[in-house]
Amino acid sequence: MTIFPVFDITSSALTTNRVWMDAIADNLANVNTVKPFDQPAFQARFIQAQELPSNQGDPVGVGGGVTAAAVKFGDSTGIIHSDPGNPMANKQGLIRSPDVDVAQNMTDLIIAQRAYELNLSVVQAANQSYQQAIQINGK
Amino acid sequence: MAISPIGAMMSAATAAPVAGAQQVGAAGAASATSQTGQASGDFGNVVVNALQGVESSQDTANSLAVQAATGNLADVHQYTIAATEASLQTEMTVAVRDRAVEAFNSIMAMQI
Repeated sequence: MTIFPVFDITSSALTTNRVWMDAIADNLANVNTVKPFDQPAFQARFIQAQELPSNQGDPVGVGGGVTAAAVKFGDSTGIIHSDPGNPMANKQGLIRSPDVDVAQNMTDLIIAQRAYELNLSVVQAANQSYQQAIQINGK
Repeated sequence: MAISPIGAMMSAATAAPVAGAQQVGAAGAASATSQTGQASGDFGNVVVNALQGVESSQDTANSLAVQAATGNLADVHQYTIAATEASLQTEMTVAVRDRAVEAFNSIMAMQI
């Protein structure tokens, strides 16, 4: 518990959004990762955000921020399609490509980016406020 | 109303240069925690505690800066926020010191 708890809270939010962007990056990086039919397809990553309890010494009881509590995985069935020319295809010519929703991921990416920026402006506003408070002059 | 602030300032002013200077010196020798003989609320202790807070936040910022330079930093904002916090704490301690010195000087400038 510092005297500037807003920075800890915002920092947790920035980390969470960074983790979310990492997950989206992973999903989009593997968008063309095909697997043989007898193996599970690449599973899309979803970040489960969870609020943090209040910091010690917090008199009011506002929360302690947010954390990326867990990674949830999408469907391992993937999208089965026929690609007989693919060396990984089985006898029927089937392979699994990942069930990654590109449009959904791009939308999430924008949301994560905006949330990150939002929290950066919280840092900026808090910093400005504290600095102005320090500059209060009794004279 | 005009009297009591001056009284408060006088006690701060008398505590500041003497106890403050001694204990800051002691803090430099890393023995500030052993200063139990002083009243906990006195200005010197407040300054010592504030300086320790500043020092620890600067330590945090420094170690994060090393991590950033060596490529071990997990998050960019960890360093920048720690640096902001350290600079804010320093500014605040400097502001407190300025006020104390100002109060002391006001008393010293009194016509007798």
